[in-house]
Amino acid sequence: MHRRDFLKKAIVTGAALSLPPGMAQFINPAWAADAVDLAVVTGPSPARITQAAIEALGGMNRFVARGDVVVVKPNMAWDRTPEQAANTNPEVVATVVRMCLEAGAKKVKVFDRPVNDARRCYIQSGIAETVRSLGVDVPYMDERKFRDMSIKGDALKSWPIYTEVMEADKVINIPIAKHHGLARLTMSMKNWMGVMGGSRNKIHQKLDDSLVDLARFVKPELTVLDAVRILLDNGPQGGDIADVRKTDTVVAGVDQVAIDAYGATLFGLAGKDLGYVRKGHESGLGSMDLSRMVIRKMTLLG
Amino acid sequence: MRIARIVSQAIFLLLFVFLFLQTESTGQDELGYPVKIFLDFDPLILLTSFLASHKLTAAFLLSGVTVLVTLVLGRVFCGWICPLGTLNNLVGGLRKRNHQSPGVAWRRIKYLVLIFLLAGALFSAQLAGLVDPLSFLIRSLAVGVYPALNHALASAFNTVYEANPPVVVDISEWIYARLRDPLMAFRQPYFRQGIFMTALFALVLGLNLHEKRFWCRNLCPLGALLGLLSRFALLKRSVSEGCNECGKCATVCPGAADPDSREYWTVSECYNCWNCDDVCPNNAVHFGFSRRTPGDRLDIGRRRALTAGLAGAVMVPVLRTDTVLGRGNRNPLLIRPPGSLDEGGFLERCVRCGECMKVCITNGLQPTLLEAGLEGLWSPVLIPTLGYCEYRCTLCGQVCPTGAIKRLSLEEKAKTRIGTAMVDRNRCLPWAHSRPCIVCEEVCPTPEKAIWLENVEVEDAKGRKLTVQRPRVDLELCIGCGICETKCPVEDQPAIYVTSIGESRRKENTLLW
Repeated sequence: MHRRDFLKKAIVTGAALSLPPGMAQFINPAWAADAVDLAVVTGPSPARITQAAIEALGGMNRFVARGDVVVVKPNMAWDRTPEQAANTNPEVVATVVRMCLEAGAKKVKVFDRPVNDARRCYIQSGIAETVRSLGVDVPYMDERKFRDMSIKGDALKSWPIYTEVMEADKVINIPIAKHHGLARLTMSMKNWMGVMGGSRNKIHQKLDDSLVDLARFVKPELTVLDAVRILLDNGPQGGDIADVRKTDTVVAGVDQVAIDAYGATLFGLAGKDLGYVRKGHESGLGSMDLSRMVIRKMTLLG
Repeated sequence: MRIARIVSQAIFLLLFVFLFLQTESTGQDELGYPVKIFLDFDPLILLTSFLASHKLTAAFLLSGVTVLVTLVLGRVFCGWICPLGTLNNLVGGLRKRNHQSPGVAWRRIKYLVLIFLLAGALFSAQLAGLVDPLSFLIRSLAVGVYPALNHALASAFNTVYEANPPVVVDISEWIYARLRDPLMAFRQPYFRQGIFMTALFALVLGLNLHEKRFWCRNLCPLGALLGLLSRFALLKRSVSEGCNECGKCATVCPGAADPDSREYWTVSECYNCWNCDDVCPNNAVHFGFSRRTPGDRLDIGRRRALTAGLAGAVMVPVLRTDTVLGRGNRNPLLIRPPGSLDEGGFLERCVRCGECMKVCITNGLQPTLLEAGLEGLWSPVLIPTLGYCEYRCTLCGQVCPTGAIKRLSLEEKAKTRIGTAMVDRNRCLPWAHSRPCIVCEEVCPTPEKAIWLENVEVEDAKGRKLTVQRPRVDLELCIGCGICETKCPVEDQPAIYVTSIGESRRKENTLLW
């Protein structure tokens, strides 16, 4: 279903929406790089491994068409600096944004709904400055643009979701891999909590089901998992450099469940150890069966 | 001269408003503007802080400049600079002309207020901020007026946005996008006592309709202090023989200096606006430098002065020994901003200017009513249900004009305890209701989390066994920032809450040994 049609049906409040013309370029041709399920690239330069991972999937042109409005959603929920590995690496974010622009995106939007004060998170994460240097604005989320949407999930029936995410032509998720007290790990699926409005602190009571519902609802075109630095303990906020491990890795793919299943291996866990990955797999959102996937691994020396 | 004065007033008022609007986080660690600088030039705050605490703050020595300027030029601060004076001027403009001057009795009040405050300060009670014009103005704007204006603007734009009329909404959003950053608050501020503060401010402005510059003429203790100094000012007004007592100058005098009467001319009530010089049809009024010191007509009265001084001194023990309204009242909810001095030192310095409340990044700092006793009225208290103390934010210490809140480095801030969190096991989801929730642990900002999770196997209502993670507070690590309380999903009455116990600033409030 087209994202805009989806939104139109999803909006509970019945706010009027205009359907812009020219939305035909959506049907995916069969891409050669579809053969690659996951691209895992390691190397010292976050920008270069990010670029290489996306290219291994067929390049940004596979995901972003000329004239698209693209939402790029990093994790910048915490008032922490990049070394503390609580927010997505700013170079990874900037690289994805740059590749979207190069693929002809009309507009790229980068935002998050942080837990700490938004001004501090945007600045201290380094993301606002790095992305703005590309001429792309990093706006604060506008409280007025959350609309109650019908999610029809197992746990989430309806919830206020940020309309710009649903109105965008394409959505790209760029989470960071971190420890979490309840979910054990937070990666791509849990990153969508950043587009939820309202009192999202209540969904922890049914977290795994809610995350699957949410990931199915948002359905990004591409996910790029930042594992340049991963946070092993005291997550998702961290603060102690001793809890950070530098793994110099980026994992890219289309299947959110597969990405999170792979991400788990970086922590010595398997996808089945994470409730939401297991449920995502069982409910058909994606697959956690890494052995059946084509995983393209690369190491860049420079 | 009138034009020059109006330009000066406009510049200082705009500068004041600009700095007020900049008293807001940009996301950087440092604020970037010297937002408290008007307070630094306030000699009333300098004098009372010095008397109360016996300490001089370096920044406050700037107020020596104000003293020097007054000794040379007279009360130009009131006539040319003071932003509250300018606002009074503006509102007074709505009134056509003043009645006959109601006499000296009202004028004396401000001197008695000043003497009362100085005597209180001498015995260590700092109450000047309640009526200091700059503290009053910043506090009124921060806590009452600005939040209301911001709300009004935001609601107007939101109404258009929601109604979504074609073209109109585009224009409205275009304006909103341009007003939002320079003028509007990042988040709508909310304050306890906001209505009261706005009402007080409206009253002070409204009194101009009874008598122009009512506040400046009759009540302002800073005006009284500068008035006393202006008696010795080098710049003097003289009236030549050309004066035919037409009385025109009396109609334009913003002060209560009685410029039309040579006999009753009152130098200490003159704001040196030079209106009388401008308006005099016979050009009989002159301002010039002279060393002659004229007597001042305004006699405060020895008995009155003595009574005010005694009242100020007696007030101190009375305030301190009341167990409910006094300092002896140890309120667990009195959570002071990080870097605050111990309660005694804090109250000796805090001038209730509201800068810390304006700048607080989460809107958690609120004016006290009686939590700190009557003596602590309108001093800052953190209310975690409204907003927590952001772990890496040090803005309140940066804007505090008197050092009541110390300026902390990020390292010091991380070690400063403002209280301690404890779990209410009767309300907590995993503790009382066997439901998963770890929000307090998730948001706990200390590098090694001060909230840890205890895995416990429990039964739910249907008898099913499940494992829940119960939050426990590590007293050694908790700094009392209150984010756990702010973010607790049991929103009306959080299942984890902070009280002041364990705060680093107060030895007698220690918990751990």
